[in-house]
Amino acid sequence: MSEILLDVQGLSKHFGGLQAVLDLSFQVRTGEILGVIGPNGSGKTTTFNLITGFYRPDRGHVRFAGQDTTGLRPYDVCARGLVRTFQVAKPFPAISVLRNAMMGTLLRHADPLVAEAKARDVLTLVGLEARAHMEAGSLTTIDQRRLEVARALGTEPRLLLLDETMAGLTLTEVSEAMRLIASLRERGLTVVVVEHVMRAVMNLSDRIVVLNQGTKIAEGKPAEIAANPEVIRAYLGAEYQRA
Amino acid sequence: MAESAATGQSDLAVRGKRVRGLERAIATAAILFVLILPWLLPNPFYVHIVIMMAIFVALGGAWNIIGGYGGQLSLGHAAFFGTGAYVSTLLVNAYNISPWITLWIGGVAALLLSLPIGVICFRLQGPYFTIATIGLAEALRLLVLHYREITNGAQGLTVPFKGNAPLLLQFDSKMPYYYIAVVLAAAVLLITRRMERSRLGHYLVAIGQNQDAAEAVGINSAKAKGQALALSAFLTGVAGVYYAQYTYVIHPDGAFGLGMSIQIALVAIVGGVGTILGPALGAIIMELFVQSTQILFAGQYPGLELMVYGGLLVTVILWRPRGVLPWFESWYRRLVGRAERVSGGTP
Amino acid sequence: MDLTIFLQALITGILMAGIYALVGIGLTLIFGVVRIVNFAHGEFVMLGMYVTFWLWKLWGIDPYVSLLITMPVLFCFGVLVQRFLLQPILRAPDLAQIFMTVGISVILMNATLFLFTADFRSVKLAYSEWVWRVGGVSIPLTRLFAFLGAILLAGLLTLFLTKTDVGKALRAVAQDREVSMLLGINPERMYLLAVGLGAALAGAAGTLIVPFFYVFPTVGVVFGLIAFVVVILGTLGSIEGALLASLIVGVAESLGILFAGSDLGLVVVFAILVVTLVFRPSGLMGQR
Repeated sequence: MSEILLDVQGLSKHFGGLQAVLDLSFQVRTGEILGVIGPNGSGKTTTFNLITGFYRPDRGHVRFAGQDTTGLRPYDVCARGLVRTFQVAKPFPAISVLRNAMMGTLLRHADPLVAEAKARDVLTLVGLEARAHMEAGSLTTIDQRRLEVARALGTEPRLLLLDETMAGLTLTEVSEAMRLIASLRERGLTVVVVEHVMRAVMNLSDRIVVLNQGTKIAEGKPAEIAANPEVIRAYLGAEYQRA
Repeated sequence: MAESAATGQSDLAVRGKRVRGLERAIATAAILFVLILPWLLPNPFYVHIVIMMAIFVALGGAWNIIGGYGGQLSLGHAAFFGTGAYVSTLLVNAYNISPWITLWIGGVAALLLSLPIGVICFRLQGPYFTIATIGLAEALRLLVLHYREITNGAQGLTVPFKGNAPLLLQFDSKMPYYYIAVVLAAAVLLITRRMERSRLGHYLVAIGQNQDAAEAVGINSAKAKGQALALSAFLTGVAGVYYAQYTYVIHPDGAFGLGMSIQIALVAIVGGVGTILGPALGAIIMELFVQSTQILFAGQYPGLELMVYGGLLVTVILWRPRGVLPWFESWYRRLVGRAERVSGGTP
Repeated sequence: MDLTIFLQALITGILMAGIYALVGIGLTLIFGVVRIVNFAHGEFVMLGMYVTFWLWKLWGIDPYVSLLITMPVLFCFGVLVQRFLLQPILRAPDLAQIFMTVGISVILMNATLFLFTADFRSVKLAYSEWVWRVGGVSIPLTRLFAFLGAILLAGLLTLFLTKTDVGKALRAVAQDREVSMLLGINPERMYLLAVGLGAALAGAAGTLIVPFFYVFPTVGVVFGLIAFVVVILGTLGSIEGALLASLIVGVAESLGILFAGSDLGLVVVFAILVVTLVFRPSGLMGQR
């Protein structure tokens, strides 16, 4: 079994009276694709925010590549090779798509010319090269999400956290996105995906972690998860509540 | 036209070349104009006006680095201006150091002051930031007034008059002052251009548009803003030294006052923030206006000049909330377009 | 340090805090509802002072009576400013909004200078010099009246905001513009009301201090600065915060003058502001 790249231990966070994440522990190994699933409000995005330094955990530790990164600022976390995308894409709206991507590549390439060339590469990777000169704010939501991935990849991370990048995609687009993620792994990247599109998570992930109400209720290979009665109950429960 | 449309790209390239040629010609003409300008003016008073314009181009340009590109609306730049002016003048008076040297020392002093200010203020956002900068500059003004053994209190400081002494940055004609001020202004604009194209320039734009997204891709926003503030403070301090040297007299209320902070910021805002030429345009407009009202009312009606000044500000903001430069540019583009058509539309 | 001198400074500070609260509440109300930081707020105070002064000078109207005139006049003035100068730029960048109010402040200050010269003016009243002595501490009645008047007006405003439908609508707009529109509230009218009320409160503060303060064109600058400190310290938009902060500012200024010298009172105030912001970047009432 390969080394542990990300080690989350006993992570907890509450907002006022709401316990968003409680005593959460899991590991990500180098080179794997880990899926994180759970009903709405189960703490997936909060977990990303805690790992990447946007929130400071109440308790618990995050270790990345053998070093304690708990409480580091987001840019420090990113500089160490751990980058995330946002569920609601946050482009820099008033500048071009290319310049948006450059904001990522400038991290490792201070020379703007080199950064621009690298930015074109990542745009090609996500299929946005034709829109390089459009204003990012005028992209469709789906293209903005692509840009989000391109910008993150531009920082040349070791671990990529994707927050629901596939929501709202058509079937062909989902397949495309899955191919992209699989190809990223081929390049040596480790990926964590938070996703509602079950087909994608089940096919893509090596392992899956299931969250419910801020805690981990199951972890295992996709087939095991699909057969886990507690997971089914959590999802069905959520469905019942919604009805 | 139809012929070149078939080749597509080359049409664009030809047009690009012609526009660039035209732009180069305009730029050359502008530079020549700036160089001979003082000789065209009827008397030294008008030279004084253009010197003030150049100094305010430098000040507005310096503010623009943090206020325009960095999107951090400082209303405390008088702190840097005053620090430069006071540190330099105190050194000149106490140790007879040449202002050519204290010019740099004054800039560095302002830069050093910017470091704690950055640490304190960049934790704050929006109006909190603006008001904290006002508070710090005001506190500094009151302290300068208070420690009169050093600063001479409300009376302010004077630069000892040495006649024509180029080594001491003093001249008996306004011409040398003009050219030095132009060099200062040009230096600020060139530095701005360099900064705009550097990693820092890109980062400031990113931070201004979405700070969370910027931090997520590894941009240390506090550091970038701190660097921009330091650069801005240094240039403001240098301009402050030069201003003191040129006017011979500085007062706490003038050099550290809120009025100075507002004037510095205004130049960039009226012209257009976050652009290289905005502050230059703003300084020209504002100074022309300020000086012409001064001639018009000759100081007979206290308050009237500044009242009209405020009126101009309010009008510009109602009319062009993003400054005059964007409007000026579209007007210029139309002009270039017409020139192009006149010089023959087909290649 | 003599205890009575300390008590004297403390009480002077507390009495002044009432005025700061009134100015600050107006400013924070405008920000809460319209989301504009009014850099001309100190000049609203100054206008209130001049209106009061001239009413007394020309017609001998007692300052406390003239509140009934100053407040409506300033209310109308605020409404006009909002309607013709602020409304058009509500969607403009922050910096345009800030500098619009800076421009208004420059105009008001200098129009006053132009019309009334830079002379320091003051009002002489039969009770100007009356002092109430408690122990060794002396309390000028005019300062006590100013404090009580300020507290009364602040109380009335709170009642208005919590008990009347219009006041509730105003708070709804401050809380969430979109939701308030769904409730059928016309936000633009609430903006007019907010700026009008803010200006009226600033004007009232001006009136209340005229009996013991010089009237001159730049008198608003200090009040404007202190109002900023009050609202920022107390978190923009929070009336409770402004009340608490004005108490801190009034007492800090007064004790600063006592311990550091009369010209450093404000430095102490700014120092408190900066230190507070370092630990609580959005003020006392803000989230960490």
